[in-house]
Formats: sequence, C-alpha cells, structure tokens
Amino acid sequence: MNTLHDLRASQPRFQGLESGHRACQGCGQALAARLTLEAAGPNVALANATGCLEVFTTTWPDSAWRVPWLHSVFANAAAVAAGMEAALKMQGKDIKVLALAGDGGTFDIGFQALSGMLERGHNVLFVCYDNEAYMNTGVQRSSSTPHAAATTTSPAGIARMGKRHLKKDILSIIAAHHIPYAATASVAYAADLRKKVRRALQVDGPSFLQIHSPCPLGWGHGSELSVEVARLAVQTGLFPLIELELGALVGAMPIREIHPVTDYLKLQGRFKHLFADDARAREELAHLQALADHNIEVYGLQGKAPDTLDSEGADSVRRGGLRSA
Amino acid sequence: MPVMTPGGFAYPGTSLAFKTGGWRTQRPVHRLRAAPCHVGCPAGENVRDYLARTADGDLQSAWEALVAANPLPAITGRVCDHPCESACNRGHYDAAVAIHNVERFLGDEAIRSGWAYPLPPVKTDAPAVAVVGAGPAGLSCAYHLRRLGLNATLIDRLPAAGGTLRTALPGYRLPRSVLEDEIARLLTTGIRFLPHTALGREVSLAELQRDHAAVFLGPGRPRPRPWDVDGRTPRDLHPALVLLQDWVALGTVPEIRSAVIVGGGNSAVDMARVLVRTGATVHLVTHEALPAAGIPHETAMKAALRDIRQAVEEGVILHVEHGVHRLILRGEKVVGVELVRMKKLARADGHYETVPFEGTETVLEVDQVIPAVGQEVDTLGLEALLPTGGLLPVDGFGNLPGHPALFAGGDARLDARGTVSGAVGDGYRAALAIHAQVTGTTQELQGEPAPIPVGDLTLNYFEPVPRTEEALLPPEKRTGAAEIATGLSAVEVAAEAKRCFSCGECMACDNCWTYCPDLAVLKTREPAADGSHYLFNYDYCKGCGLCAHECPVGYIAMEAESS
Repeated sequence: MNTLHDLRASQPRFQGLESGHRACQGCGQALAARLTLEAAGPNVALANATGCLEVFTTTWPDSAWRVPWLHSVFANAAAVAAGMEAALKMQGKDIKVLALAGDGGTFDIGFQALSGMLERGHNVLFVCYDNEAYMNTGVQRSSSTPHAAATTTSPAGIARMGKRHLKKDILSIIAAHHIPYAATASVAYAADLRKKVRRALQVDGPSFLQIHSPCPLGWGHGSELSVEVARLAVQTGLFPLIELELGALVGAMPIREIHPVTDYLKLQGRFKHLFADDARAREELAHLQALADHNIEVYGLQGKAPDTLDSEGADSVRRGGLRSA
Repeated sequence: MPVMTPGGFAYPGTSLAFKTGGWRTQRPVHRLRAAPCHVGCPAGENVRDYLARTADGDLQSAWEALVAANPLPAITGRVCDHPCESACNRGHYDAAVAIHNVERFLGDEAIRSGWAYPLPPVKTDAPAVAVVGAGPAGLSCAYHLRRLGLNATLIDRLPAAGGTLRTALPGYRLPRSVLEDEIARLLTTGIRFLPHTALGREVSLAELQRDHAAVFLGPGRPRPRPWDVDGRTPRDLHPALVLLQDWVALGTVPEIRSAVIVGGGNSAVDMARVLVRTGATVHLVTHEALPAAGIPHETAMKAALRDIRQAVEEGVILHVEHGVHRLILRGEKVVGVELVRMKKLARADGHYETVPFEGTETVLEVDQVIPAVGQEVDTLGLEALLPTGGLLPVDGFGNLPGHPALFAGGDARLDARGTVSGAVGDGYRAALAIHAQVTGTTQELQGEPAPIPVGDLTLNYFEPVPRTEEALLPPEKRTGAAEIATGLSAVEVAAEAKRCFSCGECMACDNCWTYCPDLAVLKTREPAADGSHYLFNYDYCKGCGLCAHECPVGYIAMEAESS
C-alpha cells in the first residue's frame, strides 16, 4: 500500500463521499454532499433521487459512497426515505436517514413526496442541492432557476431576457409545514453548512436543508470560481442563509458588506445577456437588485456591527486549521 | 470476511478504482513565495517564519529563526525604521503587523532567559577572517562568519564594541543596558574581539590581509563632514556628532539657550532632542521634506518619521524645506541666521538639486548653529583604497572590485542605507560571500525575488484585527535617557504575531482540504516535505483550481499539465 493510500484512510474527518466520483471540475454539488456527509457522520443511510449526484457517484460497478445508499426514482426520494426510516425504527436501529435530491427532485418532480414526508413527520433530513436548473439533462430551467437566468429552455434572446418567472420560494412552502428545523446553507460557508447539518440531525422529526451549490457548467463560470460565486450569492443578499424552527425565522447570517448583485452576476455566463447595452437588460439588473434588497429587508440581513458569524467572519481561517462551527 | 460497519473503510467496490486525475489539464502545486516583509528587511530577516513560531508560542525557536539573519534583535527592534512594516501586505487591509515589537520582545526575552545563539562549535583550525570595526556591520559579519564555521577576529579602535550604536545613539531610543547586554552576549559566542586596535595605528591593512583568509571593512563614518556658509563658520562651532557623543558618554552638553540645527538625518534629530531636554529653544532646519508616501527618498528627511514626530512632541521647532542662507555674526559669534525656503528639485538628468527661493528669507535669533550635515569615513589605514577620501565601492555581496579577499559594508560603503539594519544585512551578505570564497564554493548573486502582492491573497478569509500600538512615554516625562517606547507584553506580542497573513507560505488553515470537491487534498499529521500540511493526490485531482483560488495566503499555483 502506498503512503497516499494510507493517508487517505486516516484523514481526521469522516469521508462519506469518496474520491473517484465523476462530478465535473469544481462541482458545487459534490462539495456540498461531501461537507454534508462529513457532518452527518457514518451512522446514516441515504436515499438519493435521480440526478447528477446519483449519476456521478455510482457509475457501475463502483460507488463513491461509504454509507448505505439507495437510489430512488426522480420523484420519490422523500417517500423512499420515509420508508427506510419507518423500517429502521421497526428494527430498533438508531440510524439517521437522509434524502438527497437536486432542485428538480425537490422543487418540481419530487415536491409532493417531500410534502407528504414532512406532513407525516418522518425523522428524515431532506437535503436539496440547489444548482438552480436541470443540470444532469443539459441545463433546462427548473422552478428554482433564478429570474433572468438563461438556460437551454429559457434562453436569452429577442423574445425575453432569460427566465421570465421568479425562483420558487421553496423555504416558505417548507415553513408552512411547520417542521422542527429548516435552513439554507452555502458551500462557501463550510462551517455554517456543517453546523446546520448537525442541528438538523439533532431534531426529532423532519428537517430540511437547501444548499446553494454552484454548477460551473450550467452557470457558465470557471471551475475555480464555485466558492467565490456561492459566497457572492450570500454577500449580495440573493441567497440568504437563514434558519427556521416550526416555520418561524430563528436566525439569519448578517451581511457585513453588502455587494451589488452585479458582483455576483457578472461572473456567470447565464447572466451575460444582462450586461449588454440594452434597456431590457438594465431593467432586469434593477429587478434582480430589487429582489436582493427585498431579501435583505424581509430577513433583516444588514449586519449592524462586525460579527464572527456574519458573512465576513463566518469563513475566517486561522493558523493550524480544523475550524469547526 | 471482515465485518463492515457503516462508514467502514473498504477498497473493493469503491470509486477509488477510477482515477479521475486523467481529466486534468492543469495541476495545483504548492509554491512558496517571498513575503514582502522578508524582501523589505535590509537585514534579511525571515519575518513570516518567526511570526509563525511566535504565534505558536515557541518563542525560543522564533528567536533562533530571527537571529539566523540578525544577531541584534533587541537593538534593531528599537532603532530600526522597520521597512518590513511599510511593505507588510496587512497595511493594505487594516494596519501592518507591529513587527518591530515582536522583534524587540524576542530579543529582550533572549537576553532575559539567556538563550544561547545557535552556533556550531568553534573549530580552531577553521580559516580566520579579520573584521575591522565593531559596529553593527562588523558585529553582524563576525557573527555570521562564526555561524558559517569560520573564525572571526573583530578589531575596533574604541575600548568597547558597538560603533555608532554606542557612541551616538541616545538612551531614550536605545537604553544602554540593552546595548551592553546584547553585544556582550554576541561577543561571548567565540568571536575574538580586540578593542583599542585601530587600523593604520596598531595594525595595517596589509598585515591583516597577510594573516587572514579575508578581511571585512566596516569602519563606519565616524567623522563629521565639514560645514560652512559661503566659507564662513562661527568660531565656537560644535558639530552635532561631537556634542551628541559627549551627551551619550557623559550626559552633558554645553549650556545653550537657543540653537539652529542644520540637517535632516538621525544625528540632527537626536541632537535637537538632546538640547530640548536641557531646556534650550531648538530649531531644526532641513532642506528636505517630511518622509511621506509620494515623497521621493532623495528629497525626504533621512530620520525616521517616528523619531521626527517624537521630536516635535518634545518641543523641537521644525523648519522643513528651509536652509541657512546666511550666518549673522557679531565678530565670530553667531547671533542669528537667515533662513530661506528651499526645495530639492529633480533636474532633467534625474539628479536632485537644492534650489533656494528668493524673497522668502526670514531671520532666527539664536546663539548657536550646530551642523549635522552628514559624516565621513576616517581614511586612516585605508589610504590604499581611498587615496582621496570618499566611500568604498562594493558589489552586492560587499566585495571590493579588484580585491578578491577584501569586503566592506555598513555606512562606509557607497550607496549605504545608513541604517543599523542595513549594516547588519551588509555584514550578513559579506559573510556569505567570504564563506563561499574561503571554502571554494560559489556564491551566486541572486536577484531579489518579487514579493507576493496583496492581490494574490484571498482576503475574505481574514478578519480585521486592530494593531496593538505600544505606549509611549508622555512628552513631559521624557527626561534624560529614559526610554520612550515601552514595547508590548507577551500577550500583545502573541496577538500581533497572529495578525500575520503568512503571505505566500502555508499556514495549515485547512481551506484546500475543506473545499476540494474531489477529496484530492489529503491532510498530513506531520508537516509534509514542503513544510505544508497537505498533499495533492493527483490520482483524483481534476484540476478545477478551487484550492488555488481559495488559498488565503497564495501558496497554491496552477500549472499546465505537460500531457
């Protein structure tokens, strides 16, 4: 056995998702799944909806997962997870069940199964890797695709400036189920993400986590920019990091320095048309800025004083590492 | 068959069999880059290294890293104008790290704790090198020769070592006890020191060259440069250097009611401050400007801004960009001077010329004019090298052209920095060159590596932390030689060291390990061969570049695959 192999087996973290998976370079979803499993630990079982995550982690005959993993169809990850949870409970096994799905398997196709699982109160953490379109099938718009983003089915051109509709406010719909814990997280704030996974697993009952996961291919940015793009989504107010308990807002990561939305948009090919010399483009930019301003207002995101857990402090590093939330 | 638990580690059937590294078009590599503080330090201190050790709480190893370049940290921590801090990337973010305070603290701790200089044992049969002048350049050279395994004989015309540090540096900037302690410790490291031994008097340069494998000259500039106004000088003229040396040695100066001091260097400013302490009214006149951003080095006062500020606080009346136009004499005694506004202006050929402006004359009534207009090399014993005076021309390693075994540094060399840290650096580089020459190895003259610019750091991952400013003795309490700067406590020094961005060197923050989507960054328990705590597993690295983009300290670079 070579030394790198030995070293891999003795890393001071739990590696639920292993190397050799076939995600694209700089994949936000792979990073999000890795961080989720790091926090969730070995004592879990997964139900994984059809999508990128399922495809790139389980190319026959290999699996990148080091935990029990079950592939469901696109629509029913939550229902399968509910069944797994009930079966484990019957067997008296204390194993946490996670349902994993992309935004398609959460906002659209998997939505009724998710709603049912939440309504029945299963002890399941549903994790949505939100990359804001159907990336696995070639970047078609989903109900999570943000307003004015170009996809293959919402192209920017003469007729319109990318997606006509708004991004679905999934968290408000989840909130209406009054489940014990629901939150949003971002791959740019790893410690915050892991903390939210641990909190979600501590509650008895259904919990929900929406993780903003940049897709270099679908969003049209360099693979090295995934974290920077995700960070700017938070710092502009376009993707607020919030926590809900029983449907009520209990926490929001304050933004210390609010960036204009153009800082976020200009890095991505899917918003390139908004920077053309075009009155409609200027209107859409103003619209997206208004959406960010609205988020900042309704969630109270403007930080009052520098804080170690705000948008600048939450990702600070120190010599020696091993930062934990 | 082994029992598998959830999350157990098995190789068969995992995706590890699939090597995604083949997708890569570029690969991340660790690349150590020069820190601006290191490049900016005239003494060549690896500041980033000793700040890291200080932050880790290992003060002795921090001091050892520091004295690998500069054997006089308690002294330079006090008197250096710290160009390291001007270069510090943190200055672009909130405020530069207070490096000089860490340096001073480590130097003081070494004296207090008696840490031994990390030197090899003395070998009596090692080649011997003569070092002339026990100022900072000579002390540094002798120390580094010892560090490199050679024997050094250090000679000085004065009864004790220290050079200008001892003769002309007031105690309020450098307490005498610190000077004595640090130099005494240095001289017990196996350096042979011969006081009362002047070149050209007790020993000639030819004799030194005959008896030694190489000779280093660090004679300094002990003589005040002559000064007059249109050929006239007052009869009772005292150059600042002479008065300053008397005050430092004896604590007294002639009684003077009011004086004009002419010059913009450290001697001028110290002379002014010493006279203010005796109750005199003191004007400082210089045709240079206050040092500030945007002011060319050639036209700025040579004294450190910190010292100029303190002098003004103490009551020195500053006249920058002024010059003495005329002495007003009654007989041969000064009763006043005529000042005129002047400016150093760049001419077409790039040289600076001091231009007085007609119609801006004013008169100051004073009873003394004290010139502090620079110093000269004492050519006694150096007649063969400097038949008409001047300065010693040397290359980047202090070697005198045409004299393979003759080296020089400190204030006596051409284009000297004129600072203690500059002299220490001269001694260091010359020792390296002497060692190479004596042992028959080659000493390549390396160009200064370009320091990592602040734009190559990822500042998102740092938090603003205010710089800890040391307390200064209030101006009304600054009497005699009482030290003004009080230094920082151990806790404050540790906090300052932790403010270091570690520009260009891994600080094991875990960011690459945290953000790799492919688990291709592996953390090591002990430092890896390159000193970092991480290895890239190129079997799986897809070359996305996230780790390089998000590295806070700019330690990871992406290189194209040769394929």
